[in-house]
Amino acid sequence: MSGLNLNAIAENATRLGTRLQETISEHTRDLAIARGASSSYFDTPEDKVRNIRKQLDSNSDREKLDAMKRLIALISKGRNVSEFFAQVVKNVASHNLEIRKLVYIYLLRYAEHEPDLALLSINTFQKDLSDPNPLIRAMALRVLSGIRVPMIGSIVVLAIKKCASDISPYVRKAAAMAIHQAYKLDSGLQPELIEIISNLLRDRSPLSIGSVATAFEAVCPTRLDLLHKHYRRLCRTLVDVDEWGQADLMALLLRYARTMLPRPVVTGDREEVDLDVRLLLTSSEPLFQSYNPAVVLAVVRVFYYAAPPSEASKIIQPMLRLLHISPEVERTVLPYLLMVSQSLAHLLIPSYTYFLIRSDDIPHVKRLKMRLLRLLITSENYQALLREFAHYAEDADDTLVKDAIGAIGYSARLVPESAQQCLSILMSFIQSKHSVVVGNAVIVLKQLVQSSLQQGQAIGTSYSSTGIISRLAYSFEQITHPQARACILWLVGQYAADESVQNGIKIGPEGVAPWAPDLLRKSALTFTQEEPIVKLQAITLGAKLIVLSPADRTLILLNRYVLSLARYDMNFDVRDRARMLGALLVGAIPSLHEDDEEQEAPGGVVLRREQVRLVLFEGKLGAPAEKDVLHFDNQTVGSLGAITGKDMAADSVLPDWLEQGVDPALRVSEDDAPPPPIAVQSLQSAVPRSIASSNLASPVVLTPTGPSPSGSYVRTDAKNAWTNLDEFYEESTEEEEEEETESEEDDSEEESEDGEEREEHHEGPESSEAEDEDKESGEEEEDDDHSPHAIHHTS
Amino acid sequence: MAIDGLIILDPTGRAIIQSGFRSSSPAYPLLHIEALNSALAKASRPSDVDPVLYVSALELDTPSACCHIKHSDLRILCPVSGDVDPLYVFAFLQAFVDILREYFGQISAETLKDNFDVVYQLLEETLDASGHPSTTYSNALRDIVLPPSLLQKVLSVAGVTGLASQSSNSHPFASPIPWRKMGVRYNSNEVFFDVVEELRAVVNKGGVAAMSQVWGSVQANCRLSGTPDLLLSFANSQTMTDCSFHPCVRLQRWTRDKQLSFVPPDGQFTLMNYRYQPSGTHQVAVPFAIKASVTFDENKGVFDLTVSSRLTTRTIEKMTVDWFLGDGASSASCNASNTSSWTFDPRTKTLRWEMKNMTPSTSFTLRGHFISAAKVPRPAHAFRVKFDVLQHTFSALKVDQLKLTGELYKPYKGVRGRSMGDVEWRW
Repeated sequence: MSGLNLNAIAENATRLGTRLQETISEHTRDLAIARGASSSYFDTPEDKVRNIRKQLDSNSDREKLDAMKRLIALISKGRNVSEFFAQVVKNVASHNLEIRKLVYIYLLRYAEHEPDLALLSINTFQKDLSDPNPLIRAMALRVLSGIRVPMIGSIVVLAIKKCASDISPYVRKAAAMAIHQAYKLDSGLQPELIEIISNLLRDRSPLSIGSVATAFEAVCPTRLDLLHKHYRRLCRTLVDVDEWGQADLMALLLRYARTMLPRPVVTGDREEVDLDVRLLLTSSEPLFQSYNPAVVLAVVRVFYYAAPPSEASKIIQPMLRLLHISPEVERTVLPYLLMVSQSLAHLLIPSYTYFLIRSDDIPHVKRLKMRLLRLLITSENYQALLREFAHYAEDADDTLVKDAIGAIGYSARLVPESAQQCLSILMSFIQSKHSVVVGNAVIVLKQLVQSSLQQGQAIGTSYSSTGIISRLAYSFEQITHPQARACILWLVGQYAADESVQNGIKIGPEGVAPWAPDLLRKSALTFTQEEPIVKLQAITLGAKLIVLSPADRTLILLNRYVLSLARYDMNFDVRDRARMLGALLVGAIPSLHEDDEEQEAPGGVVLRREQVRLVLFEGKLGAPAEKDVLHFDNQTVGSLGAITGKDMAADSVLPDWLEQGVDPALRVSEDDAPPPPIAVQSLQSAVPRSIASSNLASPVVLTPTGPSPSGSYVRTDAKNAWTNLDEFYEESTEEEEEEETESEEDDSEEESEDGEEREEHHEGPESSEAEDEDKESGEEEEDDDHSPHAIHHTS
Repeated sequence: MAIDGLIILDPTGRAIIQSGFRSSSPAYPLLHIEALNSALAKASRPSDVDPVLYVSALELDTPSACCHIKHSDLRILCPVSGDVDPLYVFAFLQAFVDILREYFGQISAETLKDNFDVVYQLLEETLDASGHPSTTYSNALRDIVLPPSLLQKVLSVAGVTGLASQSSNSHPFASPIPWRKMGVRYNSNEVFFDVVEELRAVVNKGGVAAMSQVWGSVQANCRLSGTPDLLLSFANSQTMTDCSFHPCVRLQRWTRDKQLSFVPPDGQFTLMNYRYQPSGTHQVAVPFAIKASVTFDENKGVFDLTVSSRLTTRTIEKMTVDWFLGDGASSASCNASNTSSWTFDPRTKTLRWEMKNMTPSTSFTLRGHFISAAKVPRPAHAFRVKFDVLQHTFSALKVDQLKLTGELYKPYKGVRGRSMGDVEWRW
């Protein structure tokens, strides 16, 4: 920098000297405040604003620059300054580059509002396109394409064409960037722009290629056929492209691969990867080491969506590396890891420490990490993870507390060895001072008890299910969380049946566990202050107990009390429930309605005690153990929708592989000096294949996106020629299967089926696998019959 | 994939810099600013706001999202809509902040207001009209957008503008290497490497580390003339994993023989990042220990903390212990031992305890209590501890040699180490 300045000083010395002498007296005051010069522009007072017009018309560059800075400052403050447009346009040809740049910025903002005046400046830009300085050429093109005046569309295209063959790669890059603008201006220009793009694709300099890729995506995303000749060269130059270009280019190449190349095939231990797919993989793999997270994620996408399963695992370590870069990057990478974990969870297990939650993590990050940790519980690491979960239960974030306690329950079900420890932790939470902890612990305990009683096995060794229920019943008074209280009431009512007699003496009412009636008493005491959800359960508890032990006098009295309170409750649900249960019990326990006025005519159907018991107790299957349902079925890694969890309208879906790739010979280009042997080989092997295929007679159309897609690709295949149909189906079934595990990318048609499969996987992976096979091969068959159908996806 | 624009907000939430949103309605940027400001107002801690905010499609044609980062006291946000990866946006924001920092040193609302014309030019060059990052190499940018300098100020006040500095080096885009400018000349050629390592650890109640990782980076400051080609080799390169590199590094060479071969950019840049992989299962030890006892009363928490250094020869510097006292915490009063000091920020509800110098095997204590509106206070069950150790690296990474080819001079070379820590200590 200092070197540069010295030069500048040298050249300026004489000029500065004379100039300083002239102006120094007037400007000493300015010098003193030189530091805050622009700041004063920013807070321009009104009278100065009026002065701007005069300044712009003046002859002094200094005045003009001053005025331009004021204008830009006003723009920045959100003020509309289009009134100065005419004056500003005059300065577009200023010799001062500084002024010109600011004029450009101004023009780009306001050209749309003043199309007529903007047209005045176009001549200057056209002249600038031949300026010796590449910076000016590039800038002129940028502004020209940025002036959104529809009638200059053809001029812009001409300018882009000129710049696209410029000697400076920077100007060619500017041309590529301008293409998108021109397209937005007038989509009718598309054919000409596509021509320019295909010219630019030939560019040898890696500099412009990234911008060409984005222009391609914007103008003609479906014309992937244009890339045939360039695909291999683009892959090879990938390393030399600038970082943003790398990210854009890889996205494009991945799309090309998925559309045009054959899917990697797994046969037994062997994986067959098409040489062109292989080329993409090998040339993008080094970029895992890029310092730009966007590039790393682009490589992750390439490997996740195009690599054979054995190599998909390479994405894990680079993704984990990204986590520490910044909290924002962490926030975005975690959802992608969650998506990836569906198929690669086993690879994440050793690295679970990356997901330990810190108390100052962003709440969203906490939630995502929690979901990941849940997925990674195994019989080896559960000790450490339970310790973590127990710690999170003390966090100040209520959602995290809920998730952590839920995860403890999940672990108890998933890893039977851990159940004992989980129960002790949950029981200790019941004594917590924080109602959130207690509440959630009770809810999780309820689920555990319920599922263990259903399966008829004890959860842990030292806690019997009924033991837990009684413990909960005794701590009812300390628990304030309404949902938890309701849970306890329900649990006690549901499992209160107890026929056992200890030492010949039955404590409490017959047929009921000794602690149950007391709970009803407690809830009756506080009935009026409870939440409706608790009241409902209190009435139900009463009904259940009395059905179990119809003769008990105290229970009848308690029930009568509770029912009469409920009958006049403010909440109609509570009133309804009381009326319903009262009516239900009429036949079974007549004494319940002793002093009721409606007692005389029960009417309708009266149920016997056994029937009532059936109504009240049966069919209470526990809620299915909540599965960690991940709604990522139709989302891609690296899309906005995956991050916000909402449908983002424009999220593009990566196309599914073609059954067979297009002819690799198409990708041979003159610059692959010795034509790679693969091409020759595949051409040879293509012959028997096409004889076997039904597409033999169909014309060879090189562009699958053309107007008539029927039979639009040649079934050339570098692998082995298929001999009989059965073998073919077998092979392709395996291919499909492998795809299942490797990526979750699916056609919209397959979506519903896919959802089913995923659920089945939870229960019995083995049984469903066979089904998958059937389904998939069936599908395969269908696809084969209507081969053009598959091609539609690409267009 | 496209970024719709970029907005910089000052600490009060007003826009200072706003790129042109040409293809959308004027309400679009305002909606995003509003979304961020209201999310910030709602959050109990400013850092709690999700970095990717969903902005509903109520008044827009398509749903969009607001990706934002915080830098010093500024918020920089990028509205995005449609098919764009937020990671791409954050990578760009980081690159943009790095450029601003290189141009202006410290970034604050004031420096941006001082130089807003430069910021606008930078924005124009780094983000093209269709929302793709273009030139982000600072070497290339310096040729196009002149950094503010005192000389320029003097010139502008004196009435001589632009011209001279332009003509002195009017070869923008002339360099064949995109990240290095042409014709660099220094009287004394020197290159410095800083090995900066950060310990990130989570320590459980018992004082046992649940996780500890060391992330390092090699920062270079290169002041070499011409087009030097450097070859840097390390004595213990096998301890580095998960490496990532500046684009100038030849990746094949690293994969082959673990040497860094590169033509450096001029000036400061990050050459590489890595993770330190200690041999075997051995973990990097946390260089301090905290003993804490916290008891709760109604609306009140009483605590007694002791921090002691476990290092025997080096001094831990600038240690800060942050403790979130939970929603409702309103005030704290403490006694800090000798040279340490404490503050309580009622906005973030965080108690901060600072120790400037912690000489080997000394300890500090902090006793006090805090008042909370919550009946049973719920402070975070962990302290966040940050510290520096100068002239020290956890990995003991050693530069073996630095060879220079392509130029004739012999440069002066310097290497130094520095470490930092960011530890969560649970109690």
